[in-house]
Amino acid sequence: MEIINLEGTEDTPRVLFDPSKNIFEVSGRSLPEDCAQFYGPLLKWLDGYVAAPNPNTIFEVKLEYFNTASSKMILDVLSKMETLKEAGKQVTIHWYSHDDDEDMQEAGEEFAELVEVPFEYKVY
Amino acid sequence: MSEEILRALMQLFAIITKQDDGASEDEREFVELFLRQQLSSEVVKDYLALYDKFLAGDEEKPVEKPAEETAKKKLTNVKDSVRTLSICKKINKTLTQKQKVIVLIRLYELISSSEGQTPQRMQIIDTVATVFNIGQDEYKLIEKFCLSQSPSRDLDFADVLLVISGREQPQYQFAKYIISEGLYGDMAIVHIKSVDMFFMRYIGHSEILLNGFPIQSSQINLFASGSTIKLPIGDPIYYSDIITRFLEDSDIQKLSFNVENLEYKFPNGKVGLVNVNISEGAGRLVGLMGGSGAGKTTLLNVLAGLEKPSGGKVLVNGVNLHSESEKVEGVIGYVAQDDILFEELSVFQNLYYNAKLCLGNLSEEDLVKEVDHMLKSLGLFEIKDIKVGNVLNKKISGGQRKRLNIALELIREPSILFLDEPTSGLSSRDSENVIDLLKELSLKGKLIFVVIHQPSSDIYKMFDKMIILDVGGYQIYYGNPVEAVMYFKRITNQINSDIGQCHTCGNVNPELIFNTIDAKVVDEYGNLTEKRKNTPQKWREYFLGNQKIERTEDILEEPPRSLFIPAKLKQLGVFITRDFLSKISNTQYLLVNLLEAPVLALVLAFIIRYVDNPAKDTYHFGNNENVPAYMFMCIIVAIFMGLTVSAEEIIRDAKILKRESFLNLSRFSYLTSKVALLFFLSAIQTFLFVVIGNAVLEIHGMTMSYWLLLFSCSCCANLIGLNISNTFNSAVTIYVLIPILLIPQMILSGAIFSFDKLNKAIGNVEKVPIIADVMTSRWAYEALAVKQFKDNKYEKLFYELDRNESVCDFKQVYWYPHMHDKVDQVRELLDKKDEESKARLAEDLLILKNEIKKVITDETIKTKIHFDVNAISDKWKAADFEQVQLYLDTIKTEYANRFAESNTFKDNKINNALKTPETAALFNETKKGNYNESLSDLVRKFDNKNRIMEYHGHLLQIFDPIFLEPHLEGRMALDYRTHLYSPKKPLFGKLFDTFTFNICVIWIMTIGFFITLYTSFLRKMLEFNFSFKPFSTKKTQANENQ
Repeated sequence: MEIINLEGTEDTPRVLFDPSKNIFEVSGRSLPEDCAQFYGPLLKWLDGYVAAPNPNTIFEVKLEYFNTASSKMILDVLSKMETLKEAGKQVTIHWYSHDDDEDMQEAGEEFAELVEVPFEYKVY
Repeated sequence: MSEEILRALMQLFAIITKQDDGASEDEREFVELFLRQQLSSEVVKDYLALYDKFLAGDEEKPVEKPAEETAKKKLTNVKDSVRTLSICKKINKTLTQKQKVIVLIRLYELISSSEGQTPQRMQIIDTVATVFNIGQDEYKLIEKFCLSQSPSRDLDFADVLLVISGREQPQYQFAKYIISEGLYGDMAIVHIKSVDMFFMRYIGHSEILLNGFPIQSSQINLFASGSTIKLPIGDPIYYSDIITRFLEDSDIQKLSFNVENLEYKFPNGKVGLVNVNISEGAGRLVGLMGGSGAGKTTLLNVLAGLEKPSGGKVLVNGVNLHSESEKVEGVIGYVAQDDILFEELSVFQNLYYNAKLCLGNLSEEDLVKEVDHMLKSLGLFEIKDIKVGNVLNKKISGGQRKRLNIALELIREPSILFLDEPTSGLSSRDSENVIDLLKELSLKGKLIFVVIHQPSSDIYKMFDKMIILDVGGYQIYYGNPVEAVMYFKRITNQINSDIGQCHTCGNVNPELIFNTIDAKVVDEYGNLTEKRKNTPQKWREYFLGNQKIERTEDILEEPPRSLFIPAKLKQLGVFITRDFLSKISNTQYLLVNLLEAPVLALVLAFIIRYVDNPAKDTYHFGNNENVPAYMFMCIIVAIFMGLTVSAEEIIRDAKILKRESFLNLSRFSYLTSKVALLFFLSAIQTFLFVVIGNAVLEIHGMTMSYWLLLFSCSCCANLIGLNISNTFNSAVTIYVLIPILLIPQMILSGAIFSFDKLNKAIGNVEKVPIIADVMTSRWAYEALAVKQFKDNKYEKLFYELDRNESVCDFKQVYWYPHMHDKVDQVRELLDKKDEESKARLAEDLLILKNEIKKVITDETIKTKIHFDVNAISDKWKAADFEQVQLYLDTIKTEYANRFAESNTFKDNKINNALKTPETAALFNETKKGNYNESLSDLVRKFDNKNRIMEYHGHLLQIFDPIFLEPHLEGRMALDYRTHLYSPKKPLFGKLFDTFTFNICVIWIMTIGFFITLYTSFLRKMLEFNFSFKPFSTKKTQANENQ
C-alpha cells in the first residue's frame, strides 16, 4: 500500500499513514476550509487499509485543535478503526493532549464513548 | 419527545448559542418559546435552567484558552465539537428522519432570531445536518429557506413555492409561485423531498391564518397535510393545491375524471344516488363519507363502473366509463372491502399469480422483479414467504393483509383507484399506514377514491377532497376536508365557525360534521325527537347554493392502459398452478383427502370380508355374500367423495371471482382449472380406494374397470358439487344439500330397492324408471354388476353358453306353456259375447301377436315353418288354431334342441377342465375366486318366484336379466331404456356393451353439468324463481323502509 505523508499547515494537520512501519498518526491543527475535501481521500485510503490490515494497529492522534466539521471527520476515521476491531484485529487509539489542555483530553473521552475502540490517553 | 432528547436539545442549543459572543436575549427567548410549545410551564423553567447551566457551565473554559488564539480566531471548543457529535448520535437513535428535519429547522430558527449567523455556529449546524444524514443540497435549501430575509428574491429553487403579491411580473427560473393580490410581504413554502414534508414561512405584516390561527412573521411553520392558509384577500390555499403544484413538473400521466349529474336507482326502484357531480384530476386522494345507508359504496361502485347509473355519466379523459368501457379497460382499479387473498398461498405467491393474470405482457423475470419491488415498497418484503392465513388463524397482521389486498390492484398501476373502507377492522396505526400508502400513491399522480368511516384526525386531514353524502344519496358537501367542518358549523351558526382544527394539537373532529348533519329537533320537554333539523334535501339545497364545482378540463389523451390479460390457455395454466399450490400447501386438506379413500376402503373391505364356512378360515371371493353391497358402497363412496371435495370450491372463491370478473378474466379458464384439479384428485382418491378395497376382497382382474367407473362417478359428482357451489351463497346451505343429492342416488341406484317393486307412479316392471336414469349411481351400479358378472375370469368362458341356455330355457319352459295356454284361452273366449271376455280376448290376441313377432325373425325357424302374424285375429277358425299350435310346437322343439346343444358343449368344456385333478383344482379355484354366487343370484334374480309375466301386451321374462338382450325391433333410435342388468344397451339400432355404454352416459351427464355450471343455469333458475315470488319482494321493501 502506498504511504500517506502530508505536511501540516496552519489549517490542516500533519498526516502519516505507513502500514509497512505500522505508523498511523494525525497531528497538529485541523480546521480546513473544506473538511470533506481534506478528509475524503484519507477515509478512502483507510477503506483500503481495512480490507488488508495489520494485526495490531495503533492509531495516534496528537491534535492541538480541531473544529466542529473536523470532529465529524475524525469520528468517521475512528469508525473505520471500529470496523477493524469488529473484524477481529487489535486496535488501540493513542489520544495525546497537552497536560494543560483538559478540553482535548475530555474530547478524547467523548470520542471513546462514541466508538467501541480502546483509548489510551497520553500527555506530551 | 423524551426527557433525554429534550436534555440533549438544550445542550445542543447551548453549544450553538454560546459560540462567539454567546447567547443573545433573543436566542434565549426562542429557547423558551420552543420549550413552551413542548411542555407545561413549570417544567419549562427546569429546562430553561438546564439550558442556562449548559451555557454557563462551559463559559469559563474558553477563558483558559491561550489568549493569542482567541484573539486570532474565534474557535469552537474541541470538547463542544465532540459533544455535538455525541448528542446528534443520540438523537439519531431515537428520532425519525422527519423529526430530525424539524430539529434542524429549529436550530436554524434559533440563530435566525438574532444576527448570530457566525461561521462557527453555521459549522456546528452543518455538522449536525451531516450527522443527521440530511443531504447537503437539502440542508443548504433548508438553511436558505430559514435564514432568507426576502424569500421572493433569494429562493428561486424547484422545491420552493412562493406566494407573492404580484406587483411586479415574477421571473423565476425554478420556483413555483402563486399570485395573491393584497398580500404584503413574502411567503414561501418549501418541500423537503427526502421526508416529504412541507414548511411555510411568511415575512410581512398581513394577517395570515394557518389552520385558523394567525402566524408570526418570519416564523417557520410545518405545513402538515390537510392544512389551509387563509390570506387577507382571495381564496385560501389548501394543502392539496400545493401538492398539485409540486406534482405538476413531475411527469405524471394526465388524467381527468368528471362525473356529471350521476343518478342511480336500485333494481327495486329505490333511489340510490341523486345528481352527484365530481370533477378531479391526477394526484388526488378523495374521501367518501356519509352515515350508514347514505350510499357511499353505491357511489363508489358506480364510479368504478361496477354498476350502471340510471342517469348522468362518468367521463374518464372524456370517455364514458359505462358505455365505452372497453376503451378504458384496466384504467380503473377496485379494492373491495373483503379480502381476496388465497389463505394457503404465501404473500409473494398471492401477488405473483395475481400479477401473472393482469400483466401478461411481462416476462417471467420482469414479473418477479415487479412483484418484489411492489412488496418492498409496501413493506411486505420481509414477510413474503409467510402464508397469508385467514382472519381467525392470523399469520400476518390486518394491516399487512389490507396492504397486500391493495397491492393486488396496485401492481398493474391503474390510474384511478377505488377502495371500499380499506381501514375497516384495522388498528389505528395500521389504518394510518394504509392511508399513508394511498397518500403516497396519490402524490405519484394516481387519483384515488376511498370510502372512509370514522377516520381519525390525522387520516382525515390527509385527504385532498371530501365528498359527503347524506341518506338517500344526496351529495351535501364536496371540497376541502377541514373546510367541511367549518362549512357545517357556519351553516348551523355554531361558534368558532372559522376554526376547523384545534390550535394546540391540530386535531380535526370529523364526527362533528355528522353530529351537525344528523342533529335532531328537541321537543318542548327537552327530549330529542326522531326528526332531523335539516333533511338531506335541505342540506342538498345549501350545498347547491354554496358550492360550485370547478370542472377539470377533459383530457383527450387516451388513458394509460395497465391491464394485459394473457390468453385463455395461459390463464388456465396460472389458475391451475395457483389452485394446486394453494391445495398442497394446506397439509390438513391434503392429508384428509388422500387418506379418506384408503381408510374407507380398508374399513369397508375388512368388515365385509366374509367367510361362509365357520369351520374354515379360507376366504373365497366367490362365496362372499357381501359383494353386491360392496359394489354399491364403492359407488356411494366415490360420489360422496366427489361431492364433498368440490362443494365448497367455488363459494370459497366467490370474492376472488367477483374481482376476476371485474378484470375480465376468463370464467371458462377458471372453471376448467377447477375441474382439472378436482378430476386429478378424484383419480387419485378412487384409485387408492379401488386398489385397497379390491385387494382386501380379492377381486381379481377388475382393478382398471372398477377404477374407471368410480373415477367417472367421482368426476360426475365433482361437477354436481361445483354446480351447487356456484348456485348457493353459503357453505352451510351447500353441506345441507349434500344429503339431498346423495340419498336419492342411494334410493334409486337399483341396489337397495328393486325397480320393479317401487311405487307404481314411478316403478316399472319392464324397464328402469326414467327418474332413476338421472342418477349416476344407477348407471354405475349396473355397469359394475354387469361387468363383474360377465367379464370375470370364470364366467367369461361360459357367458355366451349360459346366455343361450337361459334364452332357450325361457322359451321352452316358461314361454311355450304360457303361449299354449293363451291359445286355449282364445279358443274359449271366441264364443263368448260379454264385454269382459271381449276385452280379454283382444288382450290375449295382442300378446300372441307380439310374442310371435319376436321369434318370427329367427332365421332357423323361418326355414322350418312359415307363419303369418297378421293371421292372428278374433275371426280364427279351428284350422287356424291348429296352425298356431303347430308353430308354437316347432319353436319349442327348436329351442329344446338349441338348449341341448349348448348344454352338451358346456358339459364338455367342464369335463375337459375336470379331467385331471390338477386342472380340476385350478378350475374350481378360478370359479371360487372369480364367480360370486351372491352377485350371480342378484343378476339372475333367483330369488324371484315369478318367472314370466304379462305386461302391456307382452310376456316379460322376469329372471336372468343378465342374459336377456334387449329387442331392437320396433325400437326408436334414441330409446335406450332396458331392464336393469341388461348385458347390452340399445341405441341407434345397435347394441353396445353395457359397461362402456353406462360409463359414456356418466360422462355425458358430466359434460352436461359442466355446461350448466358454465352458464350458471341453476343460479339463474333460482333467481328467476325468487323474483317471481310476490311476498318476498314486499318483504324486502318493508325491510328497506325501516
